[in-house]
This record gives sequence, structure tokens and C-alpha cells, in this order.
Amino acid sequence: MSLNLEDRKKIGSALVVGGGIGGMQAALDLAESGIKVYMVDNKSSIGGVMSQLDKTFPTNDCAMCTMAPRLVEIGRHKDIEKITLSEVESITGQPGNFTVKIKKQPRYVDEEKCTGCGACVSNCPTRNTVQLQEREVITLEPQYEETVINILQKHKDRKGPLMPILQDVNEVYNYFPEKILKYISQETGYPLTHINRIATFYSAFSLKPIGKHVINVCMGTACYVRGAELLLEKFVDVLGVGIDETTEDMLFTLKSVRCIGCCGLAPVATIGDDVYGKLQSKDIPDIIAKYQKKEQ
Amino acid sequence: MVEKRRIELMLCAGTGCVAGGAFQIIEGLEKEIAARGLEKEVSVVQTGCNGFCGQGPLMVVIPDNIFYGWLTLDDIPHLVEEHFLKGRPIEKLMFTPPEEKEVLPMLSDIPFFKKQLLVVLRNKGIIDPEKIDDYIARDGYVAIEKVLTSMSPDEVIEEVKISGLRGRGGAGFPTGVKWKIASQQKKTPKYLIANCDEGDPGAYMDRSLIESDPHAVIEGMFIAGYAIGSSEAFIYMRTEYQLAVDRMKTAISQAREYGLLGKDILGSGFDFDIEIREGSGAFVCGEETSLIHSIEGDIPEPRQRPPFPAQEGLWGCPTVINNVETLANVPVIITRGADWYSGIGTETSKGTKIFSLVGKINNTGLIEVPMGINLRDVIYDIGGGIPDGKEFKAVQTGGPSGGCIPADLLDAPIDFESLQKAGSMMGSGGMIVMDEDTCVVDVSKFFIQFTNDESCGKCVACRDGSEALLEVLTRITNGEGREGDVEFLEELGETIKDASMCGLGQTLPNPVLSTLRYFRDEYEAHIKEKRCPALVCRNLIQYYIDPDKCIGCLKCLKNCPANAILGELKYVHIIDQDKCTKCGQCLEECPPKVSAVIKVTGNDMDDLKQLSEIIPVPKKKKKKKTE
Repeated sequence: MSLNLEDRKKIGSALVVGGGIGGMQAALDLAESGIKVYMVDNKSSIGGVMSQLDKTFPTNDCAMCTMAPRLVEIGRHKDIEKITLSEVESITGQPGNFTVKIKKQPRYVDEEKCTGCGACVSNCPTRNTVQLQEREVITLEPQYEETVINILQKHKDRKGPLMPILQDVNEVYNYFPEKILKYISQETGYPLTHINRIATFYSAFSLKPIGKHVINVCMGTACYVRGAELLLEKFVDVLGVGIDETTEDMLFTLKSVRCIGCCGLAPVATIGDDVYGKLQSKDIPDIIAKYQKKEQ
Repeated sequence: MVEKRRIELMLCAGTGCVAGGAFQIIEGLEKEIAARGLEKEVSVVQTGCNGFCGQGPLMVVIPDNIFYGWLTLDDIPHLVEEHFLKGRPIEKLMFTPPEEKEVLPMLSDIPFFKKQLLVVLRNKGIIDPEKIDDYIARDGYVAIEKVLTSMSPDEVIEEVKISGLRGRGGAGFPTGVKWKIASQQKKTPKYLIANCDEGDPGAYMDRSLIESDPHAVIEGMFIAGYAIGSSEAFIYMRTEYQLAVDRMKTAISQAREYGLLGKDILGSGFDFDIEIREGSGAFVCGEETSLIHSIEGDIPEPRQRPPFPAQEGLWGCPTVINNVETLANVPVIITRGADWYSGIGTETSKGTKIFSLVGKINNTGLIEVPMGINLRDVIYDIGGGIPDGKEFKAVQTGGPSGGCIPADLLDAPIDFESLQKAGSMMGSGGMIVMDEDTCVVDVSKFFIQFTNDESCGKCVACRDGSEALLEVLTRITNGEGREGDVEFLEELGETIKDASMCGLGQTLPNPVLSTLRYFRDEYEAHIKEKRCPALVCRNLIQYYIDPDKCIGCLKCLKNCPANAILGELKYVHIIDQDKCTKCGQCLEECPPKVSAVIKVTGNDMDDLKQLSEIIPVPKKKKKKKTE
């Protein structure tokens, strides 16, 4: 697109797409310099994300205090026309002379008359009806079912049973198979999203299968100042897997852990229940070989 | 009850010693004792953590009070024959302070134990933690009887208030006041939670306390429950502390058997029981509101306070959360009186505090000292100073929430206020000693990495702020620090402090801020001179072989994982700096007598580069020999 200044006939208005804090400031600046501004936003009102924040990072300024004057200013500025509930469909033309096609969603409310009282929202008869899909019923394979049922049974009468249930399941399987989580959700009534959040929050839980021997290299302060990082590197080197990964033969999972409280023995690593204190990186290949040998 | 024997061997079976093979030693000892027919005279007792973990596996011989450390299976036959049969203690296994030749046979002579004052850990190493009778024989559960028969709940609270006991979990809130608030609440039931979710790296006080004396915690919980009117209690423990969890389970079931837990205890009409809940590895769960959410099975994120848990906690009911160490103080206060207790410590901080003394220090281990003792006594007298004659640099207290205290503040007393004034905090009691080889920027980075990892993500300031801190610190340690980074760290640190909701976020910048306060020059050396004074940060250092010292032994060359060392037998080795990954293996391998491998940083690096270019081909060492 080659342009020379003669061709560029400026047609006198501007369009701002998006009515967030940036869009509002841009619209105001344009309008103040005498340009007619159209402001498009796909929501039913302008304000964007900032209107949902309490404070902004890193200055800790109050979001509303920044926004409110601009909102008011835009509301009463004669040169700014808001086109809400609308989206830009296409833009044609060239800088200085664009034609924009805007799709406006129906609002079903007369904007001229509405006072924003909100009575229609609370009186709407269909608002709170949720259309649910029929839920599939989860049944477990027989080899899982008995164990899981026993665990659920054991904690049935407890207050706040979810953590103990998950801990017991983790004890048996070392990780959470998706189906078991769904089953727990179905039986306990906890939403699956909630269970998933718990299952991914704690570092002792995993959604992926993990190896038979879990190697935890302590990265507590005492171990760190005594060179635990070098140990971890050696493990990565010897096993050929990264941190939080499992070897292909499903024998080892390498993890780094935050202090196992054996600081007197720093640097420390544990493999399963065995603790290796005052560990040196040159001993690591032999230790790994010991476990591999046991398996053969 | 245990029969009295001629000799009792108190073998430490804390996690540290168990990892060192304590159970095998016990087995070996029992076998050897049986083989010599001494079963009736010598008994082996498994105790909880002795505290002197750096010497483990270890034991104390009663009644002589002789301390043996670093035991191995090979020592056993000799030991049993010489000492227990013939009565000649073995010097080789006794403790010798480094830099001195004289052995110290008696436990009471060893400086590590001498300056300690055991209140909470009064039973450590003396009783078998898995036997309730041992605890009762040491005046255990006397306090329960006293409160049930002669004190009203209000009197108990008053007693604890007078004693001046403050929470040992970190913040130091007066325990009596917390109990009072909970006891005044109208809503029932009320709950008690003992917090043993000890997540600080470098701290293991709570674990050792439970491993060595679980009944003291149970007794403390009972009294707290009685005082606030709660019959249901939880103890929240880390699942990583398996030994402690097992001992707690045993202790609770024994207490139930003896009628000290359950319904209508000692005929008083008061019910009380304890349930163990395990955490699954989330640091933030040590924060009280997160802990409550975790027990409820909710997302363990903190919530805004007030209402405080003492008003509205577990399942919306009044809940007192105390650290286990705080609770273990309570029975002593009841039996010996608040006046006795408040006689220990300083004006504002009463009693004793357990610390785990770790890092670059000779005597690593667990210690209990009166509040107000100064850091110098702890590090040099109890800790035995810094190994290998190195210079003391700083001590980090309070874990990731605390800060570094430099050498010139070593004479400051240890109490809640003065640590806070120094920019650190009491925290749960980790004390990590650093010597001249520790880079403070690197350590700050380590702590921020930890908190960045453990931030639950609820508050932006903590989640993204720690990320930003980490980014800048990583940049500095990589030698890419920019002008203005130090000021940015300070400003960001203060913002995170102000804008975070829970203790984790409010304290996470402390390691950075306190090191900036005391070691600003080190940050500046990294940024301006691209130099790491402690020779730690990899991108700022180089390994270098001194051609005058190298004997061409091939040791470093063979062990170099990157094949970065050039040379032949009897030829001076050279490190190819382009290949070197700076793992430090060569420094470890070089024989101490030769010590030709050195680390250099900053401007020194440029000087040495030229040297290695001058001798591109390895030169013969024979010339040197003839000189």
C-alpha cells in the first residue's frame, strides 16, 4: 500500500476498539483534541478488567480511583459515542480513511429510558435455570473398585474427609488416575474441579504415574549451602531425566524437596524410605546401580 | 515399668541418627550383649532426638553419662567388651572438640550441652518416646491431674498469661491472650489445633520434639483444650515426617488406653480427644487460615483476618491454633508455676526456645536455650564455631520469612523484639550459619525460589512479585545485573510486604531486604564489577589450575564430567574455559597437599586468562623438579 500525503484525505472521526482503561484514556485524549470518537466494546458497559480490581500492582493504587473520573468524563463528553455490546466485523480502507463494519448485539432494553436500577435482573424468570447435561455414571474396574470403596467407607463419617481420602488413594497408587478422581467426585459429591485443585495443590500428589522409587533431593537451606545443587545435577546426569520426571523403566522419579529435616546430615537425598546423608556426587552412580540390580 | 539395670544405653533414634544407621547399631548392640550374656545388666533404650545430630549415630551411657558419637557396626564388639564388660570407656569414640586434642568423655562436659537449658526438651534422650510409663515416671501427666482437680479453666488461662508464654510458631502472639479470646466466644463446639506443619527449610524442631517426647505435646494440648473448653483437637503434621507421625499415633493410643484421652477423663466429666491430620507438602499450610482450610478439605489458601480463627475458625467455630512447641511448654508452666517460668528469659520474651543449628557450623544439631542468650554464645560455645577455620559471615534466622544477621550483631540477645529490630525474626527456630564461602545474593535467590514455588497464588503481589524478585536476582547472579537493580529490589520488596494478605507474602522479601541492608556491597560487586566475592555464582567465576603447583597427576582430568581439562601425565593441566561447566569437581579431586585448582572472580579472571595463553602446550614438569 503506497501512500503519499496528497492521497490521504483525512475524514474527521476516530474509532477506539475496547473500552478498558487504555481505550478510555485514548478516547478522552482524542476527543479533547477535537476529534469525534466512536468507542466500541463487546461488553454491555465500558470499564474492562480494571473495574474488577481492588488494587493495581506494583504501586498499590486503588483501581476505582484511577478509573472513575475517566468513566464519568466519557459518559458526559459530547464528542464520544459509545457503541456497546458490539463487535468490529471488518475494517477496510487505509490510514486516514477507514470504513468499519460493526455488529451490534440486541440489547432488548431501551437505552434512552433505562435508569440502570437492576430490577429486571432480579425479576427475570429464566435467569437462574441451569441446563445440565445428564452425567455419566462412573464405574471402576474390579481391581480398583474394592480398594477405593474401602477407603471411601473408612472416611465416610469424618468431617472434611477429602484430604484423608486423597492421601490414602495416593498411598496405594502413588498417583491419581483420572477415573478414580471422577469416581470420588461422584461418590462424595465434591465437584471434580474442587478435587482437581486439591490434587494439584500439594507437592506430594501427582496426576501422572510415578516411578517405583522416588528420589527426593533435599534442597533445604542447610543442604543448599552444602552443595545440594550439584547432587541434583548428578542425579539428572545419571538417570537421564529431568526434575519431576520418571525414567522410562518406571523405576525412578526424580524430585527436589524442600527440607526433610535431616539438616544435621546435609546434603541429604532419600530414595523411597532410605535416607542418604552426607551424600557426595561421586557415590550416586553406585547407589542407583544398587536399586537397578535389585530389580533384575 | 522398666527394671533397673547396671548400665543403660540411651541410643538416639531420631530421624538423623536413624538415617545414619541407628537401628542397625541397636540390633548389633543387642546381639553382642546377648552373646556375652549381659542381657540382665545392660539394656538398650531407644530415645528421641538427642540434639547433637552432627555426631550421629550416637548414644549416652547411663549412669556414667558418657557420650559416644559416630558409632559404626565395627566398633560394637570392642565397645561391649571393653566398656560394658571390663569397665574401660573407649576414648576413640568420645567427643573431641575440633582444634583441640583433649577428649571430653562426659555428656555434661561437652560445651554443646553445657549452655543449654532444657525445659521443653527436658525428657529428650532420657525416656523412650514410645513408652508412656517413661513419661509418667518423669512427672508426666501431673499437670493434667492438677488442672482437673484444682484449677478452673480461667485460672489456667490466667496462669499461662502470667507466665508470659508467647507463640513459638514465629509471630510471638501471647498464648494466654489467644486462649482468652477463644474461651469468651459463645459459639460451640470449639476446636484446638496443634500446628506441626514445619515447612521451613533448615528447621526441624517440631519434628524432633514429637520424636523425643510426644506425650508432652499431648499433655499441653489437653490443658489448652480444658482452658478454652474444647473437646475435639487436631494435630496437623507433615506427611514427610513419618517417624514423628508414627510416634504420635503410638502416644495417642497409649494415652487413650490409660484413660488420659477419651470420655470423662479421670472422673472429671471433661471429654477430650485428638485426631492426627497429615499435610501433603504445601508450605502455605503452616499459615493458620490455610491450615484450617486444609483440614476442612478446602483449597488451602489463606483468607483475610479478622475474624481471627479464635473467633471464627474450623467449620466456622472458635479455634485455637498453637505451635506444638508452645503447647509443650504448657505442662511445665502448670506444674512448676508461672512465676518460675517467667523467671527465665528477658523482659518481653519468657522461657526458652528450641533452635535447629545447621549450615556451616561444627556442631550441627538441636538446641534449647533461654531467651536472651546472645548469638555469639550459641554459635561459638554451643555450635563450636565455623569448620575449617573459616570466617563467620552471617546467620539466617526464621527461615524464608526471616533475615540474615551479620557478624557485628553477634552480641545481640535472641528474643522476639531484638531479632525483629535486626530485620529478621524468631520464626519457628531455624538457625542457618553461613561462612565466607556463602554468597548472600545466591542465598537470597534460594529463599525467593522457595517462596515463589510455595506461594499459593492468591495475591498478585506475592505471586508475581516473587517472580519479579527472582528474575532480578537471577540476573544479578548471572552477571547481568543492571544499574538500579538494587533500588528496584528494595522498592518491590516493600510493595510485596504491604500488599500481601498472609504471613508468607508479608515476610517473603525479608531475606532480600535484610541482606541488602547488611551486605549491599556484595550486591554491588555482582552488578558493577561482575564479581562474586564468595566465589559461588557460576557465571562470575572461573576455575583455574596454578601451573606452579600442578603435578600433572591426571586426577582432575579423568574426573571432569565435561572433558574440559587438557593435559597428560606429568604435564601441567589446563582448563578449557569454553567447555568448563564450573561444577567444581576438579577442585574436589585435586589432592589437598597440591591444591593447584583455585577459583577466581572479577578482574582476577582477566589476569589469569593471559597466563593460560602463555602456556598453550603442556610443559614438562621435570624442569620444575630440578629447580
